[in-house]
Amino acid sequence: MNIMNNWFKSGSPWVWLSAAGVSISLISVLGLLWLIASRGLPFFWPAQIHQFELVDPNGIKLTVIGEVYDVETIPATQLSHTGIDTKGAETVERYLIKTGNRELVSLDFRWIVEPLIVNRSTPDKVAVIERRTNGNFYGFIEDVYMDGKAVTIDELDTFIDRVNDLQDDIIDLQKTDIGAINYDLERIRLEQRKAELAGNLTAALKANFAEQGKALNDQYLLLEQRLDELRQQVSRDKITVKAMGGELVDINLEQVINIHFNNQLTVIEKTGMFFSQIASFIYQDPREANTEGGVFPAIFGTVLMVLLMTVIVAPLGVVAAVYLHEYAGNNGFTKLLRIAVINLAGVPSIVYGVFGLGFFVYMVGGSLDQIFYPESLPNPTFGSPGVLWSALTLAILTLPVVIVSTEEGLSRIPSSMRHGSLALGATQAETLWRIIIPLASPAIMTGIILAIARAAGEVAPLMLVGVVKMAPTLPIDGNFPFLHLERKFMHLGFHIYDVGFQSPNVEAARPLVYATALLLVTIIVSLNMTAVSIRNRLREKYRSLEH
Amino acid sequence: MIDIKPEIFMPNEEIIDINNLTNEQVALEINNLNLHYGDKQALNNISMKIPKGQVTAFIGPSGCGKSTLLRCINRMNDLIDICNIDGEINLHGENIYNKHINVAELRRKVGMVFQRPNPFPKSIYENVVYGLRLIGQKNRRVLDEACERALKAAALWDEVKDRIHDSALGLSGGQQQRLVIARAIAIEPEVLLLDEPTSALDPISTLVIEELINDLKEKYTVVIVTHNMQQAARVSDQTAFMYMGDLIEYSDTNTLFTTPAKKKTEDYITGRYG
Repeated sequence: MNIMNNWFKSGSPWVWLSAAGVSISLISVLGLLWLIASRGLPFFWPAQIHQFELVDPNGIKLTVIGEVYDVETIPATQLSHTGIDTKGAETVERYLIKTGNRELVSLDFRWIVEPLIVNRSTPDKVAVIERRTNGNFYGFIEDVYMDGKAVTIDELDTFIDRVNDLQDDIIDLQKTDIGAINYDLERIRLEQRKAELAGNLTAALKANFAEQGKALNDQYLLLEQRLDELRQQVSRDKITVKAMGGELVDINLEQVINIHFNNQLTVIEKTGMFFSQIASFIYQDPREANTEGGVFPAIFGTVLMVLLMTVIVAPLGVVAAVYLHEYAGNNGFTKLLRIAVINLAGVPSIVYGVFGLGFFVYMVGGSLDQIFYPESLPNPTFGSPGVLWSALTLAILTLPVVIVSTEEGLSRIPSSMRHGSLALGATQAETLWRIIIPLASPAIMTGIILAIARAAGEVAPLMLVGVVKMAPTLPIDGNFPFLHLERKFMHLGFHIYDVGFQSPNVEAARPLVYATALLLVTIIVSLNMTAVSIRNRLREKYRSLEH
Repeated sequence: MIDIKPEIFMPNEEIIDINNLTNEQVALEINNLNLHYGDKQALNNISMKIPKGQVTAFIGPSGCGKSTLLRCINRMNDLIDICNIDGEINLHGENIYNKHINVAELRRKVGMVFQRPNPFPKSIYENVVYGLRLIGQKNRRVLDEACERALKAAALWDEVKDRIHDSALGLSGGQQQRLVIARAIAIEPEVLLLDEPTSALDPISTLVIEELINDLKEKYTVVIVTHNMQQAARVSDQTAFMYMGDLIEYSDTNTLFTTPAKKKTEDYITGRYG
């Protein structure tokens, strides 16, 4: 009893308890990262392609080729009514195979059960053909045709490179050159409408606009011609592939992104492919309703929106905190303000979304349209959800965090600093800007870090004020004024929700969900780390003061 | 190391009569100054004349109002909301509590050094030229010269001349206090207020600062608050003894310490209380 008492008094239980608390937090964080990494990353690893020979209960032979996605153990009784002979086993295994070949079978996946498999192999020659539409195709390449003439399979690599180059050219032509012309045409239309609304659309002006429009149209026709040429060139070659059922399928190479013989790859080649797959996931645009391709626009949108939000919230929060701490009298009203600010942090984020939609988008944006963009009405410019409104909404959402930590920082500055500056003939404002704010900057950075952490993970309010499933253009491009704050944008958080639960092919998208989640975490962590390292630098600079 | 001369500084040779100062000799004139913190009166009807180019010390037990009086002279008490002041303090015949007085300008004329060294978290150089930058001085050469002059005047130049762009926070306590003095004299004030400038320092640093104070009075009127009577005796020409918000006795230092006129003063300087 005495020993127990002494043990309690010694304080070791507290050490153990706090250590346990830390361990649990650490384990949950690492466990979370491990889970999403272990589910997401294998998606990029080139899988073995298996060929299964099956005989179904009716004696019909069947071949299934594909990647093994999942293995499940099910009770044998589940199969009893299908007539499959389970050889008395209690449980049987079943495999989820990704078979692709969407033009032959509408489903990408199929289940096969262990007892039906009579032979299982990994043929060297089976090719994985990644395509721009319709998903992967698995099969054996029979013939390669260049412009209708059969050539050897060795030419395939150069053909694919050529097709990819041409496709890049086509996309470039469409997005950059034709996009710019469309942008200019729209601008001319708006200018004309503006003049019309102002009542000074003279015949000469009208003719001028028509001329400009015609010039652009001519340019457009030229580009269109060039586009046609490219399209013709790109569809020059094709291959014939034998699918698992023995069907011969012609695939035009214009559809093909790359062809790999996964079963022939060495580990080093697979590692190389793994990293190049990750890279293309990061920098490519999404395809096939977001279930394939990359997530670049979503990364771009997330980062841009968070940076915009930071640029808005930092000065606003600091100014508000400075007012509360330095200028406002120490009275009941100030206390009330402070309580209101703290309570704002507890408002559910979707409420901010509703507020953003009602106030920013409809009221502010609508008024801006009335005043500055009457020519494009009834099409809204700022009067519809966009990246600016999202950044503003999240800035309001994170404002309390910045205010509270800045105020905390301001109150920790020794009054001797203030007095020292004032005694040298500085006004209160000069003291504030030259001494107090720099000294409080680590605390301000802490507020910004917390704001970023909160804002980057927020999805709910964004769905109301600017995020879309698929944005045709990035908010930054080569057309004046380069930064288009009124545009809608894509966001990784929403992308996860959309791909995982709203896509037509949920099974295929599941690894993508994990991969995107991992990416989102990585981006938030790196944004935070940047802010933390800035803060540590500032702290180092003012370290000796904290005694 | 600093070269310390172990001599005791003697008060100024020529002793002036503070009760019969000519107008030119007066730096500051305090008339009927009363100060309240809320309901509590902290200074009772203080009147005194502080002579130019001399060191005047305020002594007295803790809480007697000597620091409060000092802070009235450059209006640092303005920062305290509940502080009420009436009476006047005249600088050049003008009451510094007049409405139209620019407080920042006043504080440039009446510099102040605090109890604990409070260098800004900037370089030594930036600390010294802070006041000059405030008045818009941008000329690099002017700033460099002012910095060197101020650091020399504060007897710090030889110790820091090779590292004036290093952080001021790396200096020792005594060096920091001299830096703060250099910072105050860089803007060429007329009056320098020192609020117990050595109370946070070791004896050697104290000695250096005391020597410095003796040099400073050549150019500036110095007012020093100290709880250390020996220090007051060593560095000051005039001494004012305060007790419970009253100015009990104010005369030249020699007289006050050798033949005090009031019983309270005698009790205090002989160590009977306080």
